[in-house]
Amino acid sequence: MTLSAYLALALILFCIGLYGALTKRNTVIVLICIELMLNAVNINFVAFAKYGAHPSVHGHVFALFAIAVAAAEAAVGLAALIAFYRSRKTVQVDEANSLKH
Amino acid sequence: MSGTDIAFFLLALAAIAGGVTMLQLTNVVHMVIALVMTFLGIAGLYVLLSAEFVAVVQVLIYSGAITIIMLFAIMLTRHHTDERERQTTGGVWHKAVAALSVIAFGLAVYFGIRQLDFGADGSALAGDNARAIGKSLYSYYTIPFEIVSVILLVALIGAIVLAKKDGKGAEDE
Amino acid sequence: MMNLAWVVPLFPLGSFILLLLFGRRWKQASAYVGIAATFLSLLLALAVLVDRLGGSTYEANWTWMTIGGVTLTVGISATALNVWMLVVVALVSWLVHVYSQGYMAGDERFSTFYAYLGLFTFAMLGLVLSPNLLQAYIFWELVGLGSFLLIGFYFYKEEAKAAAKKAFIMTRIGDVGFFIGMMLLFWQTHSFDYDDIFRAVGDGTLSPGMTTLAAILIFIGAIGKSGQFPLHTWLPDAMEGPTPVSALIHAATMVAAGVYLVAALFPLYEASHAAMMTVATIGGVTAIFAATIGLVQTDIKRVLAYSTVSQLGYMMLALGAGSYVAAIFHLTTHAFFKALLFLAAGSVIHAVRTQNIEEMGGLWRRLPWTAPLFLIGALSISGVPLFAGFFSKDEILAAAWTNGPRLLFWLAVAAALLTSFYMFRLFFLVFAGKARHHEDAHEAPASMVAPMLVLGVLSIASGYMQTPWFGSFLGEWLTDGAYRHEAAPGWIVVVATIVSFAGIFLAWLMYGAQKMPRDWLSARVPYVDELLRRHYYIDDIYRLTVVSLVSWISRLLAYVDRFLVEGLARLAAGIVGAAASAGSRGQNGQAQTYGAVTVAGLAILVVIFALTGGYWL
Repeated sequence: MTLSAYLALALILFCIGLYGALTKRNTVIVLICIELMLNAVNINFVAFAKYGAHPSVHGHVFALFAIAVAAAEAAVGLAALIAFYRSRKTVQVDEANSLKH
Repeated sequence: MSGTDIAFFLLALAAIAGGVTMLQLTNVVHMVIALVMTFLGIAGLYVLLSAEFVAVVQVLIYSGAITIIMLFAIMLTRHHTDERERQTTGGVWHKAVAALSVIAFGLAVYFGIRQLDFGADGSALAGDNARAIGKSLYSYYTIPFEIVSVILLVALIGAIVLAKKDGKGAEDE
Repeated sequence: MMNLAWVVPLFPLGSFILLLLFGRRWKQASAYVGIAATFLSLLLALAVLVDRLGGSTYEANWTWMTIGGVTLTVGISATALNVWMLVVVALVSWLVHVYSQGYMAGDERFSTFYAYLGLFTFAMLGLVLSPNLLQAYIFWELVGLGSFLLIGFYFYKEEAKAAAKKAFIMTRIGDVGFFIGMMLLFWQTHSFDYDDIFRAVGDGTLSPGMTTLAAILIFIGAIGKSGQFPLHTWLPDAMEGPTPVSALIHAATMVAAGVYLVAALFPLYEASHAAMMTVATIGGVTAIFAATIGLVQTDIKRVLAYSTVSQLGYMMLALGAGSYVAAIFHLTTHAFFKALLFLAAGSVIHAVRTQNIEEMGGLWRRLPWTAPLFLIGALSISGVPLFAGFFSKDEILAAAWTNGPRLLFWLAVAAALLTSFYMFRLFFLVFAGKARHHEDAHEAPASMVAPMLVLGVLSIASGYMQTPWFGSFLGEWLTDGAYRHEAAPGWIVVVATIVSFAGIFLAWLMYGAQKMPRDWLSARVPYVDELLRRHYYIDDIYRLTVVSLVSWISRLLAYVDRFLVEGLARLAAGIVGAAASAGSRGQNGQAQTYGAVTVAGLAILVVIFALTGGYWL
């Protein structure tokens, strides 16, 4: 398998995640879509680690860091979601629109 | 076509199918389950890329931890599941702009990467890379590693503070 | 003293500034400031004159600015002509300042009046000291401003407002010609200095065609300022201003500025026969043309105004006939006797509170000072022998006979006849006959009579500076000794005398003794009478052609402005407004909308990079 196949797959997943993050109404799904985009990036790291110009284990390390940060982000994001839900009794993104005009 | 290729196609298909399904489903719990399939597919791809350790971490963190807390969040917040309710935001224009932008972005980047090849045969990483990762993390990447641990700690405390808010709110839940 | 000549205009300027600042507080005392300032100017001007009589021309220039290779200078030039004008202007201005104290007494804006007089005097004195065209042009416009302010002094009267605007606009038309002519000269000679221009004319740097063109264009400026045909219509209307103003500006000084300008640029005109002929023709036509209109006017000041136009025509005729000295001589004597006439007319108006001569009469006894002084002025302007006007008019007629076309000479003679006729028509109507209900008419205060007395003396004495009998002092001095008296035939003097007496006699027949019916002419040729009463329909022609054309174009442009320009402006405003409301709709608080827009921008950038190859190519 060549590098570009992996990159194309990552691209497709990234686009799916992006589209979902931009259009889905439920905040949880938006967060999950962002996780999907991060995953697509991780595929790139690992793919470059094997098929890049300088194959090495560093790509894996970066993927691990990204996973750790993504986990932290998911935790904080969900905590914020709970706080928001508590004050507005909703988790819909389009109802979080107080900051307008 | 080698076995690796077949495995790649199957796993890629699983990952993409999971994503597309996620977009099409209406039930939030189902959507999260669909994404588990994508995460598992990606884990399989990591194995193909000789990154067994990352694959295991992927399964543990994504398919396990993150999916589970997402489901917890859904259960904590949803009081009713209305299938007829809109699943997406905005009108046609919003969706059209988003879709067009994403497609344009995807195509443009695809033209950039479709011929990309550094000529590496991928044989360098075969074997015991968990040990190599461990060595690298605890020697070369010590300081980033420590910083990530601090980030996790901060996220942990932050999440507690945000979700707890005040005593009264917490008792109401 | 000549190196101090530049101080002369500063006194009235100081008076102007002081009165602007403190006039309201000083009220009637403002007059003393103005009188003192102009008196100092007069003293200094006289000192300069005495200095100049024995000396030669003093000129001083200071660099104003340097643009590229051209240096613009300001300065003073004490040529004989300039010093002479300086004295005449300072003298008349001072007398008018004194006179106004009585005439304007009690006016609410008394101090403002003196402030304006100061501004005007400053500008006029500055004008006659200018060594270059640019400086002259600046003061020329300032003089116009002073005239505008003073004509419109009674701005609550509609006529005064209209007259002020008319004067400003009509002279402006001439000024455009002046400006273009000045720029042509600058373009050709790279200098505004009179001396440089004359040198360029002399050595042929300036082509004959260009000389003629520039001279005629500058003459258009003089036409506007001096009320020559066809731009004369503002001058009679300018009589709406206070009478001292009419005396100072519209008789003695400002309207003579056109004559002064042509005289100052005389070498330029001498170089072009066509320009000289233009000047002479315009002058001659104006002289007879205005004199005929003066015959039928019923407003005392308008008669004098048309007479002024006519006399200025004489001066132009003299210039065009090449007699620079005759023009300046007549300018001087005219300044004195016409100022006298205006001041006397002001005294009459002050006494009877009307300007209509049909309502006056029998004032000889009631105004024991004014009436004889008016008579002196009238005799002088009519060219009765031994009065100043006789000598200067004789000079002009002689010049017209020797150098000008015969037709112009006879026009001038006819104008002289008409002049003495309408002046004495005025005199008999106002002072002779029986009184028409002016029981309370009384003589003016001393502050008004005294300046008239001075002018009365000058209206006689100023003629003896230049006579066929006692030598031509003025001419020799003005031309640095190069002057020679025109060898005109002796019968011209006789003809001039006969003509002036004939006019007086005719006026006496009709209005004094009333031996001849007053409608003798108008009954026979009524259309001529109507023609004269309507000022040859000049105003009507202007109204029908220029004014209606301009207002038609204005209306068209107003529509263009309202619908096209305003439409464009509204369109621009509407676009901005629509963009704003669209933008604020976009600002809807939806994080996903912001995200979508951001991604769209990113996508556009990425696509552009993909198509162009990005930074690397």
